[in-house]
Amino acid sequence: MDALILARIQFGLTAFFHFLYPPLTIGLGALLVITEGIYVYSKNEDYLKITRFFVKLFAINFVVGVATGIVLEFQFGTNWAQYSAFVGTIFGSPLAIEGLFAFFMESIFVGVMLFGWNRLSPKAHWVSTILTAFGSALSGVWIIVANSWMQTPAGYKIVNGKPIMINFLHVVFNPYFPAEFTHTIMGAWEYGAFFMAGVASWFLIKNNKDMVMRKALKVAIIAGIFISVVQIILGDVSAKEVVKYQPTKLAMMEAQWHTQKDAPEVLFTIPDEAQQKNYFAIKVPYLLSMLATGNPYGKVMGLDSAIKYIAHKDHITNLKPSMFPVDAVYTTFHIMMYIGFYLAGIMLIAIILYWKKRLYDNKFFLKVLWYSTFLPLLALEMGWCTTEIGRQPFTVYGLLETQNSVSKNVTVPDLIISITMFITIYLILLSFALFLFKKELKGRLEGKDEVNTKPKEA
Amino acid sequence: MSFQFLQVLWFILIAVIILGWSTMDGFDYGVGGLLAFIAKDDREKKIVINSIGPIWDGNQVWLILGGGAIFAAFPQVYASVFSGFYLAMMLVVWLIIFRAVSFEFRSRVEDESWKKRWEIVITITGLGIGLLLGVALANVLRGIPLNKEHVDFESLFGLLNIFAIVGGLISLSMFLMHGSAYLVMKTEGELQKRARNYGTKFAYAYIIVTLIFLLISPIFAPRLLNNDLGILGDLVPAIMLIGAIGVILAMKSNSDTKPFMFSVLSIVGTIASVAVGLFPDIVPSTIKSSYSLTLFNSSSNELTLEVMLIATLIGLPLVILYSIYAYKKFGLKVKLDEDSY
Repeated sequence: MDALILARIQFGLTAFFHFLYPPLTIGLGALLVITEGIYVYSKNEDYLKITRFFVKLFAINFVVGVATGIVLEFQFGTNWAQYSAFVGTIFGSPLAIEGLFAFFMESIFVGVMLFGWNRLSPKAHWVSTILTAFGSALSGVWIIVANSWMQTPAGYKIVNGKPIMINFLHVVFNPYFPAEFTHTIMGAWEYGAFFMAGVASWFLIKNNKDMVMRKALKVAIIAGIFISVVQIILGDVSAKEVVKYQPTKLAMMEAQWHTQKDAPEVLFTIPDEAQQKNYFAIKVPYLLSMLATGNPYGKVMGLDSAIKYIAHKDHITNLKPSMFPVDAVYTTFHIMMYIGFYLAGIMLIAIILYWKKRLYDNKFFLKVLWYSTFLPLLALEMGWCTTEIGRQPFTVYGLLETQNSVSKNVTVPDLIISITMFITIYLILLSFALFLFKKELKGRLEGKDEVNTKPKEA
Repeated sequence: MSFQFLQVLWFILIAVIILGWSTMDGFDYGVGGLLAFIAKDDREKKIVINSIGPIWDGNQVWLILGGGAIFAAFPQVYASVFSGFYLAMMLVVWLIIFRAVSFEFRSRVEDESWKKRWEIVITITGLGIGLLLGVALANVLRGIPLNKEHVDFESLFGLLNIFAIVGGLISLSMFLMHGSAYLVMKTEGELQKRARNYGTKFAYAYIIVTLIFLLISPIFAPRLLNNDLGILGDLVPAIMLIGAIGVILAMKSNSDTKPFMFSVLSIVGTIASVAVGLFPDIVPSTIKSSYSLTLFNSSSNELTLEVMLIATLIGLPLVILYSIYAYKKFGLKVKLDEDSY
């Protein structure tokens, strides 16, 4: 294996592991703002108990997210030095601004939120929860600015062979930014809702008279139904942006090898990259043309003409179909999409059951919710794989190829050492985090945490 | 504002951010490094850990900001140094990862040996990061073998020279002194007495290794002898020594806060000495001086520096505001409650 493949494996691996945590920080953070807000305004102690219990899980997730995030900011320099030197004048600013405006807010107020229960009035404490959640979402804004710029670079011109920034606002509001940000943040909130619903369900399976967890489940499914439906719409919006700006990615997502005027949606297939063919394809006629263009006879670019289009548009000569990983992009995209529909369906059923007052003692459905806890996270990871692998063979779409981005001075042995260490450390962290989650759940079940839930009165 | 002025300003701002990190996160690492030695029983350990408990996370963002600011303002420096120091950077990252989870994980399980293990992690990561900062900065001061394309092909072992190790001992003793001074401020009684004692010792150690470093500089980094600011620049390292002597004297007084102030002064002196020693280079090349990365040939374009400057002028005061709020809420002396680590 060469250093390029290993560097890609390491980046994928470290980003994948890191991305297990921030969505819950963002998503559960938003739900805690709701539950603590209900407590502050209704003075209903149950909502304080919900908040205080979920804050414990939030804290475990938060530190692992922080720990695994640091490497990502350094890794552009360590492993992708050519990339960093090439686009740093543009790509570095959103990262610095993220630190300055978002991560500081999040990290300072998370300390106040976790340790300030006895030092702040309920309202002031709620404000620190809001600022933590807001800071984490704002972090997401700037990270997605950086990422979406790699998808649809804008606001620059080429001087002496390198892009330099000519318009900061065009860099920030690059074409793909609004769709990518809303779709990602909604995914994080969806995970937050399912996480709270899943954990609450677990407690209700054990004891369906647990009034606190009944309320937690209620909040989670009311938030969840809105989020999961809106998320499907945002997914459609995102895909339409891909149609417009990244034709090769769309062709990979849909396993469209050749341009078609009445393109079917391929519901299932095993794409064969060597033969450029789909095996065992299950298709819905006209659907892809309909979704991509709004017209059942609309033309959808296949991989062959998409490559020609990009090569012509961005003056690139060496592109070959074999550089485009169709099967990974098709598969991850479809897993994400099907999970998305499943999640909306589950929330719909939950709301109906709640309405008919049959939610809290329906053990089977509570189990379904419990088993679905981490499915939104899987969807997020798959969607992220689609976005990033679908951008290949570029790091900055149409502007910089992955093979010209990697550090020249990082050797194969260097990478083998670092990858081995990362896998070891991240597996340790993941298993500790899960162990501690489980411990907190069991602890509550045994009634260990029913004390000290009241913050200082103002 | 001329482009050149902006470039110089950003060189200074990067130094200020690194100063922010070593001042704010420096005592976190120092306190961590002291944990295994200074705390005698479980209650004292809890006090030591909770002296930084609610705030270490915010302090660590200075490091993130530093990485991002160098990336944005001097992308070529970010690319050359981070890839050139590959395994050393990875080592720092792994230490930071374990440090970041250690406080939270330790407090979650009521088990003697579990806690003990995480305390060792807290101590080792504190000492390790304290040492590696100086090793890295001393290597930059000495210069690294950047080729014509500003790429450094030297291996990890190239970083381990006597000059760099003395540099590492400076930052290590500095962080331990700073951590002790911080504990003097945050604790009372026996624990505070021990902190005063440790602080004095590390201040002496810091003075001695700094003098050794200055003595051997002409051999390893002759460029430090003729800095661009002339005699004024030569006097900057004196701030390091004044600060440390101040720490020693203040430790003898009964003031809880003065040792910390002097400790901050010596950190200001340290970072300023590095900045003055490098200026106008950022990373000197040992192969040929024309291959060096200077603040002029490695910076971003004018617009990026302007945008970043505006962002900093708005953002940094906000950060200071949040920090003051958080520090005030938790008071001067550590008070344990059921939410503490």
